[in-house]
Amino acid sequence: MSALAEILFGGLFQGSLYAMMAVGLALVWTTIGVFNFSHGVFMMLGAYIAWQLVELGLPAAVAFPIAVVVMAGVGWILQASVVRPLIGRPNIVLVVVITTLAAGSLIENGALTIWGPRSKQIPALIAGNATIGGVGVSLHQIAIIVITPLILAALWMFLNRTRLGLALRAVAQNEDASHLVGLNVTALYGLAFAIAASLAGLAGIFMGGYRFMSPVMGSDPLLKALIVVVFGGISSISGPIFAAYLIGFFEAACSYYFGLYWTPALLFGVLILTLMVRPEGIFASRSRGLA
Amino acid sequence: MNPILSVEGVTAGYGRVTVLHDISLEAGRFGNVGLFGPNGHGKTTLLRAVSGLLQPKSGRIVFDGQDIAGRSARAIVGAGLIHVPQGNRLFPDLSIADCMALGAYSPRARPHEAENREKVIKLFPKLAERWRQRVRTLSGGERQMVSIGTALMSHPRLLILDEPTLGLAPKIKDELCASVMDISRGGVPLIVVEQDIEFLLELTQQLYLVNHGAVATEIKPGESLDHGEIMSMYFGH
Repeated sequence: MSALAEILFGGLFQGSLYAMMAVGLALVWTTIGVFNFSHGVFMMLGAYIAWQLVELGLPAAVAFPIAVVVMAGVGWILQASVVRPLIGRPNIVLVVVITTLAAGSLIENGALTIWGPRSKQIPALIAGNATIGGVGVSLHQIAIIVITPLILAALWMFLNRTRLGLALRAVAQNEDASHLVGLNVTALYGLAFAIAASLAGLAGIFMGGYRFMSPVMGSDPLLKALIVVVFGGISSISGPIFAAYLIGFFEAACSYYFGLYWTPALLFGVLILTLMVRPEGIFASRSRGLA
Repeated sequence: MNPILSVEGVTAGYGRVTVLHDISLEAGRFGNVGLFGPNGHGKTTLLRAVSGLLQPKSGRIVFDGQDIAGRSARAIVGAGLIHVPQGNRLFPDLSIADCMALGAYSPRARPHEAENREKVIKLFPKLAERWRQRVRTLSGGERQMVSIGTALMSHPRLLILDEPTLGLAPKIKDELCASVMDISRGGVPLIVVEQDIEFLLELTQQLYLVNHGAVATEIKPGESLDHGEIMSMYFGH
């Protein structure tokens, strides 16, 4: 019983974090058709900005939303500086991999210079612990498990129930036709990056609340988010969300039965198997498009 | 009557390839305008330059008294010049309802959204039956109706149709031609690229033969032509 509870809980928790990360990657891919390798750095930067604001004396309830909004701005600026100028060039996918990697490396080392290598921690969303089904869990983790689906549902509502969300989905499907109905395609690209960066920043704040932060804290979650989007298919945002939870459960089960040491190898096993059997991802349709 | 659109000495192309060589034409002085000519000679490129998808290298494009050459597609849509591109490759995973909402995205079209939706449904009753269906699940003819309907939602002051009947079955094609005639009778001036010369002769009052990126021949109202003469223009003898 406690084994099942532990796997269930671990899976929900990890899945929530992966979903927050993977959705941002998918959002940028579907709208702009590029892969953002500075996504992990967004996560780190969100956490450090939140830490800095708390350190300056702001209460967490104020500091966290500010950090998320600042991250939206960071995402917009990054898009305008290293992605937008390259759109329309040949080999855009590869070129943007390099420019976002470069920007990510710059920000990572910038964070190291500003905040130093010493590990930091930000306050938990809710302090304290509880025991559920024989498993001891922190209320912070429970809060993440509850909040993440709400945020993802809100994103889904935004994409599917508002005119601006409709415009984002349209750009994802046909750029020329989007121009011809008068959409501001450049601004929508910026918006996609801004949303992705805020979600990553929020994931960073979640992570900084239960694990020590370092300037390289985003690279492992980015890797996991990559596995998730390859596994689930990147052509929609619902695919990566389901895939994130599946991968979360898989990881929790592996850690429980085979130990942490084997988990990454098994995860990559799943990745390779997916690429061999169903390279477009298990939840993918054949075309690009949000929702 | 002043022309609503005049293209003056436009040169445009892709990269180092120039497709349009100093092309000039006018639309709206005598009614609808038809463009015809062999494939690959610049008709679609001309339309892309007019609607702002392609920045012309030189020349003026005057719409309603304003030079719109080099302006963004969004600004041009905002001014009421609406372009339905070739091949009905719209938004495959959006529903018809979504496409209509997108058509009414520009601030100019927003206040007329309900009234234009009524018009589209009256013109294409078939679309109302499939209102919540994804565009990819529709037939070619229905997709073309969605393309034209979306453009009508943008409240056009000038409507450009690029080969609206391309690849359609004869029966569907006749229906669509009748609908295009209806749109024209509703008071929206048209520029139509079409391979079906009979349809162009019926729909338009002024014809341009576009060849090698320039206007080879202009046919004004009153200078009616028969099919044979046009064929000889096409094949150049």
